[in-house]
Amino acid sequence: MNKIVQTLLLLEFEVSDFSLCALMALYLAGLWKLLVKSGLKGWWALIPGARDYQLACCAGREAEGRVYSVTGVAILLLNLIALYLNRGSDPESIEPVYGQYLLIIILNMTLSIIRFIYHVRVWSGMIEVYGVRKRWMLLCLTEYTIWIPALVWGWVKKYQPEWKVEDIHAEMARLATSGSATVMDEGLTVNLKERTVRQFFQKRILLRDIHMSIPLGHMVLLLGGSGSGKTTFLNAVNGYEKADAEVMLNSENLYTHYKKMQYEVGFVPQSELMRSKDTVLNTLLDAAKLRLPRGVSAKQRRERVDEVMDIFGLTRAKNHLVEKLSGGQKKRLSICMEFISNPSLFILDEPDSGLDGVLARELFEQLRKIADTGKIVIVITHTPDRVVDLFDDVIVLARDSARTGRLAFYGSIDEARKFFNQDSMEHIVKSVNTKADGGDGLADEFVLKFAEVQHG
Amino acid sequence: MADLKANKPSRQMAIHHRSRGAQVSIYFGKMLRMFVYQNDWKVLPMAALVAGLVGMVIRNKIFVNMEGTLMGAFAIVCVCIWNGCFNSIQVICRERDVVKREHRSGMHISSYIVSHMLYQCLLCLAQTAITLYVTLIVGVKYPPDGLVTPFFILDFMISMFLITYASDMLSLWVSALAKNTTTAMTIMPFVLIFQLVFSGGMLSLPAWTETMTHFTISNPGLKVLAAQADTNHRPYATIASMVGKMRDSEIGGTFTVGQALDILQDAENPTIAEVRAKEIGKVMTLKELKSALDKSATFDAFRKEHVVEDFTVEDALRVLVDAKELESVISDSLGTTTASAIRDVLQTLLDSEEMQTFLQTKLLHTTTVGDVLDAIGTDDLIEKYGDTKVGGTFTIGEAVDALANNPDIQARRNQEITVRTSVGKVLDIVGEDKVKTFLEQKAAEVSYKADYECTVENIVGYWLDIFIFIIVFAALAIITLEFIDKDKR
Repeated sequence: MNKIVQTLLLLEFEVSDFSLCALMALYLAGLWKLLVKSGLKGWWALIPGARDYQLACCAGREAEGRVYSVTGVAILLLNLIALYLNRGSDPESIEPVYGQYLLIIILNMTLSIIRFIYHVRVWSGMIEVYGVRKRWMLLCLTEYTIWIPALVWGWVKKYQPEWKVEDIHAEMARLATSGSATVMDEGLTVNLKERTVRQFFQKRILLRDIHMSIPLGHMVLLLGGSGSGKTTFLNAVNGYEKADAEVMLNSENLYTHYKKMQYEVGFVPQSELMRSKDTVLNTLLDAAKLRLPRGVSAKQRRERVDEVMDIFGLTRAKNHLVEKLSGGQKKRLSICMEFISNPSLFILDEPDSGLDGVLARELFEQLRKIADTGKIVIVITHTPDRVVDLFDDVIVLARDSARTGRLAFYGSIDEARKFFNQDSMEHIVKSVNTKADGGDGLADEFVLKFAEVQHG
Repeated sequence: MADLKANKPSRQMAIHHRSRGAQVSIYFGKMLRMFVYQNDWKVLPMAALVAGLVGMVIRNKIFVNMEGTLMGAFAIVCVCIWNGCFNSIQVICRERDVVKREHRSGMHISSYIVSHMLYQCLLCLAQTAITLYVTLIVGVKYPPDGLVTPFFILDFMISMFLITYASDMLSLWVSALAKNTTTAMTIMPFVLIFQLVFSGGMLSLPAWTETMTHFTISNPGLKVLAAQADTNHRPYATIASMVGKMRDSEIGGTFTVGQALDILQDAENPTIAEVRAKEIGKVMTLKELKSALDKSATFDAFRKEHVVEDFTVEDALRVLVDAKELESVISDSLGTTTASAIRDVLQTLLDSEEMQTFLQTKLLHTTTVGDVLDAIGTDDLIEKYGDTKVGGTFTIGEAVDALANNPDIQARRNQEITVRTSVGKVLDIVGEDKVKTFLEQKAAEVSYKADYECTVENIVGYWLDIFIFIIVFAALAIITLEFIDKDKR
């Protein structure tokens, strides 16, 4: 049994000296307590790979934790392979006699460099979470000293994390709401329960409990601070990135009939995602070929392209390369590409970014006209007050204390002002933004308040 | 707008949009436009430049000898892989966000990749044609007759195109995997190195890495070009040229008389057999022999050698009979048979009864060999037996066999002799051209590889192998790109 433990420790920590294994055992003891302090199970410390990820979660560095964990497991596997190749001989005399060993050494070295970088990132996070001086980092750099911070922060009561992983689960339970929006015969109805992603075998909730009904002909402003899930929400609404939701457009389920209805939704992304070396006309003709039904003749496609160029003022630039267009023209071309199929639901992610006030106003007036033809137009903008008079409704998304995007308000512009007791849209955003983002940190309050107003 | 609305079917009817095939034509047209407006056209002059540089290096070697052909084939494989990889390494990753947007708008990933395949196919064809044309211009001499098609150059072009296209599809897959151009260009060198190192033809690999050659395009690529170039049946020139360069190098060593005789008696060795058949020796009178000896500086020196001990004329004659120097001098001048004949004459003198009194005459302490010869009265003897013919015509082989069968020589088989000479002298004796031809043939036999045998089965088989790579990489590109943002979708 002792031999097995010794072998495992040797493999795990890549050390040949048993006394160093003892130091690593101290590290594990410290890590156990660190995980417990952050509200996680201490036994994760005993599982190679998993403990790295859990540690990264404690440090608020989940993304880094994935690489940290994978490289740790990969190094462990390489050591196991080396041990297998060296079976039957003295374990202390693993020499690069064979090509296999050389390959293992090269891979091990490469992975170790990557792991070291992520090790530094994760432990930097731990230093922030425990609010200790940065000089502690020196002790975190080597496997000979890492046990000291782990043991001290883990076992000394004075050191406590600024936040715990378990807090998120508690907060999620506290902020849970219920209810749903009534499906409209004509218009858009969104009943979103959850929008989740799986990251490294762990479910993460991006959006939760968003319910609303938007009538046809409405132009809707979508507000929210950074990280509140605006783009995620729009992607879920247009059906490309599906959520646990029911999205009904004119009484038809967008998710179940996505293939048929995807042309009913036009989504204009934040940046101008077009081929810069193509001409305006060819870009739109190709967009028309792709988006318009098969029965539309070439002549009709050309007429539609001319019509759209005329609406958005691109006729004179039709033979220009996209890269030669001004910022405003590029925005308009990007909108044209989606508008060419005459969609019922038109979604625009920050169409005014990079535009001056006059151009932005003109663009939003154009969108208003589109809405007036009986379309639903949903727009994200970070400068809402200069064009707020053009909108019918506003959606306010906020990031709650469980770090999930929530609906803080949906209704008319005037109702929003009253609900938040603010006179401008920008102040509304500020009120729901987290304190870390310079806001008032009232997201949880408004989320619960609106849920009560909406569903009783 | 009104017309469009009129054409729009009701919501109850299925609305059909462009099929996958129709989308291929949209994107193919778009790519052809991009060829002009974007920098894609630059790959063509780049191919010409690379072909020119490589062609200048290989023009005097490829299709001339085995190693030159193999090296040339490898260089062409490198050119093809280089061209193919750089054609498409950035094509998807540079517009990844655009692809995502268009995929959201109804674009089929398979249509997008197939249109890339068609476009890259044209590009690779153009590059292959340019590469072949440029190599022709710089002086690479292609054989005239093909094996699969009537023209060699067409066979070669098909192979080059397939290698280029397969590499193109490989980097298309890498481009689909990479999230941006920086990542793609970081992966690129590893892909190239892997392809070149594990081609399995130029570098000798450890046994455990040989399976990796099955995953490289360069492996069947090199094999097909080497087979088409008939590498197996070309002479191996490096060893022969190395022998020429070693003319001044000293060689030699210690070996036994027996070993030397065994080598000289090896009649199966064509070079030795030829030497053995050479005729040596000539018939001459004793007078002619003396005249020849008188002219020899070595013999003159030998005459001046001092004889320092008390001895009789008989002793002196016996010294002469046993004197290797004298025999060597005579052998150098007149051949071994003549030397043997002289020895016989001296032996006859020693055995003659009427000469016994004279033979017992005591000689002075200090005298020279010349004095001895004068004392013997060699001039009188030559006057007397001057017309006696000595020597005869025989072959080296006969002489060697006679020596080998001689009991004295047999007894000395284990006696060591040391030889020091230069490679050049040996080559002069044996014949440099013959040695080179022999070495070229033997090295080519040793270097023979069944994989490089120029047969239709081999060539078509390799073409199929490369074609499988093309299909697999294209399929991988589609599968990879289908997973674009799959986690979000």
